[in-house]
Amino acid sequence: MHRLLRSSAATWAIGYVLLGLAALVAFAIPLWLAWSVTIRDGRTELLRGDAQRLTDVFRREGIDGLTAFINARVGMQIAGERILLLTDASHRRLAGNLSAWPRGIPDKSGTDAVVVELDEQPAGAVVVHTALPGGYNLLVGRDLARFLPLERRFSYGLVAAVTFLALFGVAGGILIRRELLSKVHGIRQTVSAIMQGDLRHRLPVRRSGDELDTLSQTINGMLDHIEHLIRGISGVSNSIAHDLRTPLAELRSRLEDLALTRPPAAETFAEIDAAVADVDRVIRIFDALLRLAEIDTGTRRAGFIPVDAAAVAAEVVEFYEPAAEQKGVAFSFHTAGESPVAGDPVLLAQAVSNLIDNSLKFVTATGAISVHVARRPDGAVEISVADNGPGISDADRPNATDRFFRGDASRGTPGVGLGLSIVDAVAKLHGGALQLLDNRPGLRAQMVLPAIPLLGSPAVSGAALGSAAQGDRVGSGWHFRKVPQSRRPSGHGA
Amino acid sequence: MKILVVEDNERVARFVVKGLGEAGHSVDHAANGRDGMLMATSAPYEVIVMDRMLPGNIDGLAIIEALRKAGNHTPILILSALADVDERIKGLRAGGDDYLTKPFAFGELLARVDVLGRRSSGASAERILQVGDLRMDLLSRRVTRGARAIVLRPREFKLLEYLMRHANQVVTRTMLLEAVWEYNFDPQTNVVDVHISKLRQKLEADSEPPLVRTVRSAGYMMCEHA
Repeated sequence: MHRLLRSSAATWAIGYVLLGLAALVAFAIPLWLAWSVTIRDGRTELLRGDAQRLTDVFRREGIDGLTAFINARVGMQIAGERILLLTDASHRRLAGNLSAWPRGIPDKSGTDAVVVELDEQPAGAVVVHTALPGGYNLLVGRDLARFLPLERRFSYGLVAAVTFLALFGVAGGILIRRELLSKVHGIRQTVSAIMQGDLRHRLPVRRSGDELDTLSQTINGMLDHIEHLIRGISGVSNSIAHDLRTPLAELRSRLEDLALTRPPAAETFAEIDAAVADVDRVIRIFDALLRLAEIDTGTRRAGFIPVDAAAVAAEVVEFYEPAAEQKGVAFSFHTAGESPVAGDPVLLAQAVSNLIDNSLKFVTATGAISVHVARRPDGAVEISVADNGPGISDADRPNATDRFFRGDASRGTPGVGLGLSIVDAVAKLHGGALQLLDNRPGLRAQMVLPAIPLLGSPAVSGAALGSAAQGDRVGSGWHFRKVPQSRRPSGHGA
Repeated sequence: MKILVVEDNERVARFVVKGLGEAGHSVDHAANGRDGMLMATSAPYEVIVMDRMLPGNIDGLAIIEALRKAGNHTPILILSALADVDERIKGLRAGGDDYLTKPFAFGELLARVDVLGRRSSGASAERILQVGDLRMDLLSRRVTRGARAIVLRPREFKLLEYLMRHANQVVTRTMLLEAVWEYNFDPQTNVVDVHISKLRQKLEADSEPPLVRTVRSAGYMMCEHA
C-alpha cells in the first residue's frame, strides 16, 4: 500500500474519488432536505384540506351527519391510507378507523407527530387535530410508514452511487497507474540499456501523440544526437590511433636507429632536427583534431557576432596574395559588397584560408585560383574558392571531407588530411554546408552560410534558416567587426 | 633580464631554465605555486613564466590574479596545455600578458619572453620608429630608407611596424600571425615567409644592406646589421 501511495497516479486517483464523493454528498444533502420538506408540507396541506372538508360536513349536517360520512369513508377506504377519528369532548370514539384517542395530542387544534395503534401495530403518523364546536375532536392523519420505502430508496440510491464512484474511481486509478507504470517502465528499461552502453535502443513511440509520446520523441532525438557524437568520437579515436601512429612509428625508428648506429655528430644533429620535425607534425595533427573537436561541440556558437564574410575573405585573400604571386598563380577575388552572416570571424578566416591553402597546393605554376563571395536572393552567403588544378575525382568526392582522407592527387604533398574536414565543420557550425563541385577542370569548393539568424537561437538548422525570410534584418544596424576584443589571442605589439 | 619560471614539471623546467640562462637571462625556478607566489612578491622580476596547472590544486591563474590584486604588474607569460580559445581568453582576463600552449618550441618561448620583458621597460608612445637608416613616421604613415621613400600597403606597414617595435628581438611566425593578421591558426603554406621576403624586397630595393634577419628554427629579427 505504501508503494501504491507513492505512485503519483494512485494518489491522483484517490484524490479524484474523494473529490467525487464530496461532490455527491454536497449534491445529495440539500436535495434530501428540500425533498423531505416539500413532501412534509404537501402532506400536511392535504391533511388540512381533508380536515376542512370534514369540518364543512359537520357545519352543514351536524355531528350525526359527520359520523355517518366518516363511517362511509372508513368503509370505502383501503386500510391504512388515511387515519380518521371523531371523538366527543372526553375523547370517546364516535366514528373512524382508530380504536382510541392517541396519547400526546394537545387539546387545541394543530399538526402533530404521534404513535398510533393501527391494525394492532404501533405506527408513526402525522395527524391534524381539529377541535369542533361542541367539544368534538376530529383527527385526520396519515401513516408515516408509507413514506419509508421512498426514503429507503433514496438512501439506497445514494449508497449505490457512492459505491459505484469509489469502485470505478479506484479501479480506474489502478488501471491508469498500471498503464503509466508500464510506459514509464518501458522508458526506464530502454534508458538503463542505453546507460549500459547500447546506444542503438530507442524509446517506443506510439502514434497516439500523447504527452509521453512527445517526451519519448524528444528523448529519442537527444539519443540520436548523442549517438552521432559518440560515433564521431570513436571515429576520431580510430583515426588518431591510425594517423598518429604512423609519424610516431617513424619518429621511434629514427631515434632507435640513432641510438643503435651512433653516426657522426653532423649526421646525428640532422637526424635530431628531423625527429623534432616529426614531433611538430604530430603536434600539428593533434592541434587540428582538437580544433575540430572544439568546433564540433558547437560551443563556439556562443561567441558568434555579425560578420561581413566578404571582408573576412578579402583579408585572407590579401594574406595569400604574395604566396600565390610567388608561385606564379593567377589569383582573383570577386565580391558583390557586404555579405553579413552570424559567425566566428577567426573560424571563417581559417576555413577560407584552408580552402586557398588547398588550392595553392594543387594548382600548377600556370594555374588560376579565384575566390568569390556572393549573396543569394534568400540572404544566404556563398563563399567559393575555385581552381583549375587536378580537382577531386567523383569517386573521392563523398569522402573528401572525412578526417584524414587524402585523395590520390594529394599523395606526396604536405598536409595531414584535416583541412577540408575543418572547413566542413566550420560550415556546419554556421548552419551551412560545404559543397565540393567540379570546376571542369579543377575544384570549386563552396561554403553556403545561411543569412544572419536571430542571435540567441541555439542550434539553427540550415533548412529552418532557408525557409524563414530574414533578409530584412540584414544590414540594418549590424555593426561589423573583424575580431572582437575579447577574442584577440594575445596582446603584444602596440 | 631577471626571469621567474613557475613550472612543476622537472624536465620542462630544466629545459626552460637552461635555455633562458643560455640566452643571457638570470633565471629563478619555483616548482610549486606557493613558492612561486612568495618569490614573485619578494624579488623584482622583469618577466614571469607561469605554468597553469600546478601541484597542490593551485591554478596558475589564481596566483596571477592574486599578484595583480597586490599591485604587481610584472609581465606574465602563461604556459598551458589548454589550447581552446576560451582558455586563452580566461588566461588573459586573469591578468596574463601572453599565452603559449604546450608543447612549444623553445625559440617561440624565448621570443615571447623577450618581447614581454622589453615591453615592461620600453615606452610605446613614440611617433618615430627608427632602425639604422630606416625611419617610420607613425602619424604621417611615411616610411623612408635614407632618402628613399618606401610605399607600403596597409598590412605591410603593420608588419614592418611590428618588426621595428621589436627590433633586435626575435619574433616568430606565430607572433606575426597573431599580431599583424590576428589569426590564431597556422596556415600550412609558408605565407608569412613570403610576406617577409616581399617586405625585404621593398626595403632593399636599392641593394641597401639587409635589415631583417632570418633566425633559424625560430623566426625573424630586425636589426641594423642583419
